[in-house]
Amino acid sequence: MLAGYIEGLSMVFQLGTLLAIAGGTLLGIIMGVLPGLTSAMAIALLLPVTFGMPPVMGIGMLLGALCGAGVSGSIPAILLNIPGTPSSVATTFDGYPMAQRGEAGRALGLAIVASFSGGVASMVILSLLAPPIAEFALRFGAAEYFSLSIFGLVIIASVAGKSLLKGLIAGFIGFFASTIGTDPIAGVDRFTFGQLSLLTGINILPALIGLFAISQILKNAFEYDPAEKLTAGKHKIDLARPRFVETFRNWRALLAGIGSGSVVGPVPGAGGSIASLVAYDQARRFSKNPEKFGSGHSAGIVSVESANNALLGGALIPTLALGIPGEAATAVLLGGLMIQGITPGPMLFADQSGTIYGIFLAYLVANFAMLLIMCLGIKVFVKVLMVPRKQLLAAIVVFCFIGVYAVDGDVFNIYLMLAFGVLGYFLNRYGFGTAPVILGLILGPIAESNLRRGLQTFQGDWTPFFTRPLSATFLLIALLLLAVTLWQNYRAYKKDLEEIKSA
Amino acid sequence: MDRDIGKPLFDIFLLVASGIGFYYATTLPSITSAGGITPAFFPKLLSGLIFVCAVPCFIRDSLEWLSQRRERDYEAQNVRSDGPKSAVAQWLFIMALIIGYAIIFERLGYLVSTSLFCFLSVLGMVMLSGEFSGMSAVNKLKSGLGYLAFSIILSSSIFFVFTALFNIPLPN
Repeated sequence: MLAGYIEGLSMVFQLGTLLAIAGGTLLGIIMGVLPGLTSAMAIALLLPVTFGMPPVMGIGMLLGALCGAGVSGSIPAILLNIPGTPSSVATTFDGYPMAQRGEAGRALGLAIVASFSGGVASMVILSLLAPPIAEFALRFGAAEYFSLSIFGLVIIASVAGKSLLKGLIAGFIGFFASTIGTDPIAGVDRFTFGQLSLLTGINILPALIGLFAISQILKNAFEYDPAEKLTAGKHKIDLARPRFVETFRNWRALLAGIGSGSVVGPVPGAGGSIASLVAYDQARRFSKNPEKFGSGHSAGIVSVESANNALLGGALIPTLALGIPGEAATAVLLGGLMIQGITPGPMLFADQSGTIYGIFLAYLVANFAMLLIMCLGIKVFVKVLMVPRKQLLAAIVVFCFIGVYAVDGDVFNIYLMLAFGVLGYFLNRYGFGTAPVILGLILGPIAESNLRRGLQTFQGDWTPFFTRPLSATFLLIALLLLAVTLWQNYRAYKKDLEEIKSA
Repeated sequence: MDRDIGKPLFDIFLLVASGIGFYYATTLPSITSAGGITPAFFPKLLSGLIFVCAVPCFIRDSLEWLSQRRERDYEAQNVRSDGPKSAVAQWLFIMALIIGYAIIFERLGYLVSTSLFCFLSVLGMVMLSGEFSGMSAVNKLKSGLGYLAFSIILSSSIFFVFTALFNIPLPN
């Protein structure tokens, strides 16, 4: 491990890598400030820029973007009562009332330090937990990988869509899309329709940008309202002073945030909004002054913001150790890893320990970059809120086009991106979600190749998939989860029907 | 619950698409490997699963839509809003423009196509959303020139950053 860290250190502490991490963080902050633009979109747009970079530099840049977007959503939440990202919804509870009292700078200072602390703590948890999990996963064979893929798909489908069936449909669509191209075992072309660009399968980058960026642009175009002009209002902030002492004085809330983020993070599909709400609830429960929550209490901001960033470290555990992403943004990051030629999973820890520890350190550096950039640039970021939305949409479309064209100079990828964009727009609009699609696209080939490889090894016998302990456990949990979610969906549906009848 | 006819329509689209997917899967060559798995196995299974899951979704979404007809009729008679219409127009306009941009991206080259796209998209959004209404002709012209300048500057600066700094070739 130590050798891995030393190798990782040499990869991270290079001027180019540090600048890339800082650049990614800056872009993430800008994207997080703007309501409607997501962290997944930020890293999807950054992916093409990372093509020519060494893995640690490229992934460091993407982690910087995630880290930056994680904290900057608090700016509109505190100043305008509008969460920049879904995970900063709970920041509005205490951040906005504090800003209303004329203490916007204090609220932002608390949010920045809490987020930084959450990020650093989650990096420690990540570096302690991911290696043993990966080592354990080295025992996995084809049957376990197949079951794990199914488990990952089921778990994200059960929480990403508005109903289990819709989440599953989205996952199956992604899985189906992954079968396009040359069959890995028999060498038969599937659904290529003579299109040479499809022979190697669906390129992950156009799919990612389409699902997470173009679909969002179409949504914003639909919702565009010229009357909606965001301004920082009466708040005048030149510099956000980091509030270390006050943040650590709220140590109970900080621990509640770090704990909630780290626990919720690895749960596929749970996401930042759940982590922050759980953290807020826990902090209130353990507080000596629970009645102060909701009225501009510092502990409220500390708990939520520490959870937001601690979530990322937690979500990275299954992403890196098992190749199963924790939520949408880490699903895009997983795509980024694959583009970099890195296959997440236990073998990554065994074969490229320098790279993996370099990624851990890059995440740590990203947190420091976030702290510095947020404190120094807060005045500028508040102004970003006022960027006219129509110009921004046009610029993002241009970045999407360039990013996808840069893959291999093939216009077909642009059409592919548009197709996924339109699909993603409707999937989101009608409650299917897009995260399961990308997970299906990533996990599909793992499931298919391992099922077929496993059947070859077991000489056509299916039973080992259900009798090997680990494989059976994954399948059983997936089945139980399906049953529980179906039951919950059924109860919610019945309740809806009763409400309609009574109305 | 959301009353949107798009929901059941999208479910129908999924049913039809999964049917087409299943049909094309049956045309794949059946080269059997261990366990009886052919290249068509997963595509058939997945399109079948999409179909099976989409049926209850369609039934539920259709029932939801139908059950709130009375409320919908009431709103249609009493509430008049220009919002959704302009929203749809904005969406269709941006969609058409993005497709047009994809078509001309290589043919006209990056700089011309991008400048055109940026200018038209900003101008279109302004016009469709009604931002221009109430503005004097001089102000409209000023804004239009501003958008044109924005489009050219944005396209050129992105071109410089990507070609000169990142060495990413863009179509000329």
